[in-house]
This record gives sequence, structure tokens and C-alpha cells, in this order.
Amino acid sequence: MTTGTDHGIGEAVAARIEQRWAILSIVIVGVLVGMAAFIGIHQATMPQGHVETADPRTLHLSGEFIESNLGSEVEPDGSVTVRAIGQQYSFTPQCVLVPTETPVTFRTTSADVVHGLLIEATNINVMLVPGYVSVLPTRFKAPREHVMPCQEFCGIGHQGMWGKVKVIDKAAFAKLAAARRRLTCVD
Amino acid sequence: MSEQKLYSFRNPWFSASVGITIVLAVLSALAGLIWLPLAQSDLKLSGIWDAICSAAGVPRVSTQAPSLQPDFKISNVVMTSEMLTRKDAVSIGRGATLAQRCAICHGPQGVSDAHSPNLAGQFAAVTYKELVDFKTGARVSVVMSPFAASMSNQDMLDVAAYYAFLPRVPSNNLDPTIPAPPIVVTGAPMRNIAPCGSCHGDTDTKAGSPWLGGQSAVYIKAQLQAFASGARRNDISQQMRNIARHMTPEEIDQVARYYEAQP
Amino acid sequence: MLTSKRLILAHFWLAFAAFGLALVLGAWQMFVRSPLNAWHFNPEFYYRSVTAHGSIMGYVLPTLVAMGFGYAISEAALEKPLLGRRWAWTGFWLVAAGAVVAMIPVSLGWASVLYTFYPPMVGNPFYYIGVVMVVVGSWIWVALMSINLAAWKRDNPGKPVPLAMFANVAGSYLWGWTAVGAALEIIFQILPVALGLRGTIDAGLARVFFSWTLHAIVYFWLIPTYIAYYTIFPRAIGGRLYSDAMARISFILFLVVAMPIGVHHLFTDPQVGAGFKFMHSVFTGLVALPTLLTVFTICASAEIASRLRGGSGAFGWVKALPWANPIMLATALSLVMLGFGGAGGLINMSYQLDASIHNTQWITGHFHLIFGGAIVIMYFAIAYDLWPHLTGRALDSFGLMRTQLWLWFIGMIVTTFPWHYVGVLGMPRRMAFYDYANPAISPQAFSVSMSVIGGLILLISGALFLAVLIRGHRAPGTDVGPYQFAVAVHVPARIPVALNSFGLWLALMVGLTVVNYGYPIAQLMVLPETSVPAVYVGAGR
Repeated sequence: MTTGTDHGIGEAVAARIEQRWAILSIVIVGVLVGMAAFIGIHQATMPQGHVETADPRTLHLSGEFIESNLGSEVEPDGSVTVRAIGQQYSFTPQCVLVPTETPVTFRTTSADVVHGLLIEATNINVMLVPGYVSVLPTRFKAPREHVMPCQEFCGIGHQGMWGKVKVIDKAAFAKLAAARRRLTCVD
Repeated sequence: MSEQKLYSFRNPWFSASVGITIVLAVLSALAGLIWLPLAQSDLKLSGIWDAICSAAGVPRVSTQAPSLQPDFKISNVVMTSEMLTRKDAVSIGRGATLAQRCAICHGPQGVSDAHSPNLAGQFAAVTYKELVDFKTGARVSVVMSPFAASMSNQDMLDVAAYYAFLPRVPSNNLDPTIPAPPIVVTGAPMRNIAPCGSCHGDTDTKAGSPWLGGQSAVYIKAQLQAFASGARRNDISQQMRNIARHMTPEEIDQVARYYEAQP
Repeated sequence: MLTSKRLILAHFWLAFAAFGLALVLGAWQMFVRSPLNAWHFNPEFYYRSVTAHGSIMGYVLPTLVAMGFGYAISEAALEKPLLGRRWAWTGFWLVAAGAVVAMIPVSLGWASVLYTFYPPMVGNPFYYIGVVMVVVGSWIWVALMSINLAAWKRDNPGKPVPLAMFANVAGSYLWGWTAVGAALEIIFQILPVALGLRGTIDAGLARVFFSWTLHAIVYFWLIPTYIAYYTIFPRAIGGRLYSDAMARISFILFLVVAMPIGVHHLFTDPQVGAGFKFMHSVFTGLVALPTLLTVFTICASAEIASRLRGGSGAFGWVKALPWANPIMLATALSLVMLGFGGAGGLINMSYQLDASIHNTQWITGHFHLIFGGAIVIMYFAIAYDLWPHLTGRALDSFGLMRTQLWLWFIGMIVTTFPWHYVGVLGMPRRMAFYDYANPAISPQAFSVSMSVIGGLILLISGALFLAVLIRGHRAPGTDVGPYQFAVAVHVPARIPVALNSFGLWLALMVGLTVVNYGYPIAQLMVLPETSVPAVYVGAGR
């Protein structure tokens, strides 16, 4: 490609083919990266916008992750905030209740070790790292039940850590929300 | 001649590679730290500097509405893995004296005949937490609450240390022939029940989870039922309620009988 | 001429013996969490096995293969005995001892933390100490590669560094630098906690340090494979390497870009800012480039060999390749698996697609396909190619070798393709068992069972591999001549100093590390409130 040998024409041909392939490869990579950025802006999923911290030792004592504040809360603008924690070996609330066709923001953290939160049949997938708050805005389309496993090894009870998400009709949710300020589907 | 200098802008390799690297780094930084965050209107950023700080990961406190407070007392103990795991002889000695009052129900050697829990050999953190919870009212017992109310924090630490120091005495109901029920060995994953031993010390220990071996079956059953109904609520962040509420009555019986027969 | 045969053989034998053990564990793991097994067993055994399997396959096998192959390359490419052989043996014994020290607590169930460590869970300190010993032993190799090359350059001023050695040293520098992340995590964060000197640890920072190592380590694993593509394959099939310069550029790209991209493993983590996640994403896209270049160059080299044998036609030349040659077969199978695995990798690298499959079984399927498949099959090829030169005996059970390679390929496809599928269905990772009776999980049952069969096929292939190598020690002696590498079609008499040295590339690698990792690490280090209590694992404490 750049050396001063005297293989002349053959080398020049080989070099040209190589360069064309290199340019094609660069274009392919560029398109892929550009697509990721474009889709990120115009669709829902982007990485968490802010880093927030939380102390796992005192989650149950004060702050937004105390037991009575967990669950689904309707915000003044109509959106829903779901607060949940992961711990060895369950999520609280064990069953998360959310409405259809509403912006839902999950605010979650871990009380002890690293957990993961995956809602099957969706792309809701987030790590719960003790010391930090994971924030994920999303939306549910249709009423159904999803299982919600922990997707990260969190100790030898990890395989028992399966929660549930219940998506119900927006109107039904609104009726329940009128009666209680934090909703869950735990019996 | 390959006397070309490497670190010189006249070397095309040097200038191209350094140039491309810098351009890529700068462009991706501009895109990632400024353009993309500002393009997301839901982040409510207040300008370029805010966007840069946010995207770089500067921690911030988000203003949340005041938390909904509980209408019952919750446990205010901070549990950590290493809590009270170091033996302190002085504390144990004091605890021995204090524990004379406990012997009426919990037995002189910390082994009870009265279906109150055996305390001998119990993890100190567990005994301490329950005493604190009795005192604050997070856990309510007609018998224990008055006892705990009169104890100071140091008293509770001492008693816990003492009982942890006592050897676990094999229970009268020891029976190695009882097979471990499936709910104990493997739990029930889809009902969110991990194997009991993954927290209660058989295979691993989670801070605050009591050793169950040799405990009265009557007591274990009563506690599981209390967690299941929500009558007992001092398990931090519902960790036991989440489990007990999905156990069937048969499983509760099996667990209680099994652990009573363990050392 | 190879003079450090015992040294190299020691590395390979330890690597492959450990590999065999880990392979058995892996097959057991696949079986025990599948619907084929009635799941009433202590889950702790599963996690213990995963820790052992992962640590051996990730830290012991590829490190020893890279080291042994590296010593062989140094002697064969530079055509002089290895300098510092005693140090090399020290490194070997450190790795061996470290592996044993680490595996003892794991086998006893005192360190079931998985090979990714995951603080704040903390296990017995000797597990981590063992891992550190393995890494330090490998750093001796890194130093020796550098020293040997420097000595050769002094004796051969201005001459092009032989490609195999150039790539080998690039790989060693990459490893030396990337291991720093995990080393920092273990030495400054985990060990103080494991030894009881501290009670809290910043889990987010630990994950960032680990991500520093985690991505580039797979390129460290990959470089021996690519060296085999470029410098063994063309020669083995009777052809020439299409382009020497392009090969160097590929390895240089790996050296510079493989490391500062680790945050793509932290896309869904809350402790890193979105801006850095995007920057790492861009550079991760860049690291696809050398693989694209490599695929082209290797296919072109194959075409040269084929046409020299009389192959003709736009695609018909593929038939004329020497398919009876195990190296030919291994490379072709490797490239197929690389294609699928690489495509999977492109999916993982984009935040949006990653969100669907993060930490599902897709991830496990992906890295088994690309590492266990594309990369390890070339480790077999490397062993087969070097064996006669190490043992001084013939290795000619070609039929058995081809069978072994086919079984590995088929086994890997049968294991990993259903694995990717259940990942898309949302099956979470690292669970000791699943309740396949539940309607949410029953669609996954059949695929998981298929993977078990794949695992069995892999087990048979692994056994065959060891059998071939053992036979190689018992065959009649033969003189195979000096070990040679592929020659380029246009042999460079002189090449640009940039393609013949590492200073510039190391500077760029370190510079990019500072740009991409500097702020996230610094930020997390100064935050006091994110140090969380350690959670000690291991029964009955």
C-alpha cells in the first residue's frame, strides 16, 4: 500500500481494492452509529439523563423509597411514577400496577447488591446498583401481565427473584388511583 | 530510508491518526454531551452547561414530592452484613447478667420450652434488631414489648452478643430423616420465593435473617402467617411479606416442621 | 527454530487441561438448569460452577494460550531463542499457582461471586488474590514480549518487524493496559473489603473499573485468533497473505480502540452519564472496522491460494480450497461463527437494541458463539499447527482433527442459536433453574433443551481435541523443519515507522482512555455517599 517495492501494477491494483473495501467498511460503521443516534432522539429509549444517588442503608427510613411511598403514583400532569426497590430476593412492590397509554417513569434502586430489572415482552431493562437511582421513562400499550425477573446475579437466591407487572386499562387505573395514593397489585 | 520521524506532523500516519482520533473524540463528545441531551425535551435541561453536566454524570438530586408516610411504625434498624459480627467479651458478660430476665420464657440456656424462639446461637444482629423493633413498636408483642421498653440500646447490644455467643443446643425435635421439602430447597421461583437457606444461613446468610434450625414449629408457623397477613411488618421493605404471602398453608406447615427438626 | 518447547507446551497443556475441566462444568450447568433436569438441587452448586467455569474460561485458558503462543511467535518470527526464559517460567508458575489459589475457595463454596466479581457481594479474599496472581504472571509475559522485540530491533535497525511478532506485541500491550482496570478494582476496592480492612465499597465505580477490562479482554482473547488468520492460515493452505500493511493496521486499530469502549457494558447502569455512554458507543462502532478489514483480507488470501491451485469462477474458487486441511476447515468455520457473533455484537453495541436483550440469555449465547466458537476454534488450530514443532512428532490424524472441528462448530451452533432465541424471549441470565411449567417460561423450554444437546456435542469435541494432542505426543518422531509464518504477496522491504512501532498507538490508546474514562472514574471516586456496605457471601457466617 505504501511501500517502495517494485511489484508495480499488481500491488497498485491490490491496494486500490483494499482502499475501496476500507472506505465501504467505514461507511457501514458510520451508518450504524448515525442510525443509533438518530433513532435515539426520535424514539423513546435513551440512556438515563441524570445520575442520582441514594443510600441503600437508609432507604426504608427516609426519602422516596420508604415502604409506604413505593408503588405507582399519579403525578399532577397525569403521568405515572413507579417507585420500586430490588433487594435479596424480591422487588418491592412485588407486583407493579401501571396504566396503558400513559407516560410511566420507573424510579428504582437497590437495597443491597446489584440487581437487574427486566420486564418480559418489553424493552424495559435496567440495572439496580446500590448507591444510585435508576430512572427509566416508558409506556405500556395494551393490558396484560408481564413477569419481571431480576436479570443479574444477586446471590444464591437469584433464581427466585421474579416479580410481576400488571398493565390495566387507563380508566380502571384512574378509578383505583382516586381511592389510594400509591398503587400496587400485591393482593 | 526509514528515518522518518514518527512524532511529527509531516508524517502522514501521525497526522492522520492523531487528527482522526481527535476529531472523532470531539465530535462524539459534542454529540453526546451537548446535542443529544438538549434534543431530549423531557430532560428539562436549563442550557448547555446543564446538559454537559447531566450527560457527563454529575450527580444531582431530583426534587420529588414529599414521600407518603406510613401509618404504622416501621423498623428503623440499619442492617449491614458485618453488623455485630465481632465478639466483644465485655458486652457478652453484661449480656449474660441481663439475660437472666429472659430465661423465664427463652430458657436458661437460651433454649425455650414455651414456643418462644430459641435464642442460643442466634445471629446477634437478628436478636438486636427484634429487640429494637419491639421497643419502637415496629413489632408488637404483648409479652416482649414491655421487656424491650425498659432496655437501653447498649442493653440490647449486650443481650444480643451474649445469645450469639451461646452454643446452639440441638433441639429435642432433631430428626435428620425428614426430607427437605421442595419449598425449602428450591423455593418457588414464579411465586417469588427463594430457597429459605439462601438467606437464613443454610447456604448463605442475609443480614437480619434469623437462623431457623431448631426453632419451635409453632413459632415459625405463627410468624409466617403474621407476615402473610401483614400483621407483622417489621421486615425491612417487605422482604419477608413478599415471600410469606405466596406460601400455601401446607408449605408453611412443611417449613415449620422441617426447621424444627434441624440442628 | 523453537528452543523453548517445554515452556510453550507447559502453557498449552495447563490451558487445555483447565479448559477440559471447565467444559465439563459448562455442560453440567446447561443440563442442570434445563427442563431435562428435575430442579430439586441446591442452587449454590450452580453458582459455584459458573464462577469456576467463567474464571477458567475467561482468565486461565486464553491467558495461557496467548502466553504460550506468544513465546512461540517470539522465537519463530524473530528467529532467536527467547530472552528471559527463567522469567517466563516464573510467569507460568505464577499463573498456575494463581489458578489453584483462586479455585480452592471457589470449589469450597466460599467465593460464588461469578467471574465478574460483582461487588458489593464479596467472597473469600483468596479467590481475588488468585486472580491477581494470574494477571501478574501474564504481565511478566507482556514485559518479555517487549524486551524480546526491542532486542531484535536493536540488532535489525530499520527492518520491518515480522507481522506475527508485531501483532503479538500489540496484543500484549493491549492486555497490559486493559488488565489495569480490573486490577484497580480488585486491589483498591475489593481486597480491602474481603480482608476486612474496610466495610464499604462503591459498586458503581467497581463496575466502571471492570468495564475498562471487560471489553478489551475479549480482544486480548481474539488476537491470537487473528494472528492465526493472518500468519498461519495463508501459509497452511499454500497461499500468501493478501496484504501485510492492512494486517498491521487492523492490529493497530485493535490496540487503540479496543479498550476505551467498555462503558457499552454499562448502558443500562445508573452511575455513568448518557454522554459517555454515547461516546463509548461511537468508538465501539469503530472497533468493528478492523474485523471488517480482516474478513476481507483473509478471504482474499484464501482466494489467492485457491486460484494458485486452479480454482476459477467468481465464487467457484471456494471449492478448490484444500478442505482436507484442518487449518482450512477451522478458519472457515471460525469466520462463519465470527459473522454471526459479530452481527450479534453490533446489536449489543447500540443502546436501543441492547435494551431488549441486556442481561438475557442472548448475551450468554453471543459470547459463547464469538469466544467459545470463533476464537477458541482457532486456538485448536493454533495447537494443531504448532504441535509437531513442539513435540518433534507427526500430527497427522487429519480425519480426527476435522471431525473434532466439525463437532465443535456444530455443537456451538446448536448450543448458541437457541440461546440467542430464548434471550430475545426475555429469559434472564444466571439463574440456577427455571420453572418451565409456568406459561411465561414454557415457550423457552424446547430451545433450552436443544442447547443442552449442543453442550454434549461440545463435550465430545473437547475430548477429541485432547485425544489428538495426547496422541501427538506418542506419534513417531519426525523433523518438521523450522516454524514458518505466512508471507505477504507483496513483501515489504521497508514499511512506515508508524506501522513498525507502537509509541504513537500506545499514546493514542492511553489518551482515549483518559478522555473516555477519566471523568467517569474521577467523578465516582470523589463521591463519598455511594460507598455501600459490603455483602459477604459464603455460608453460615
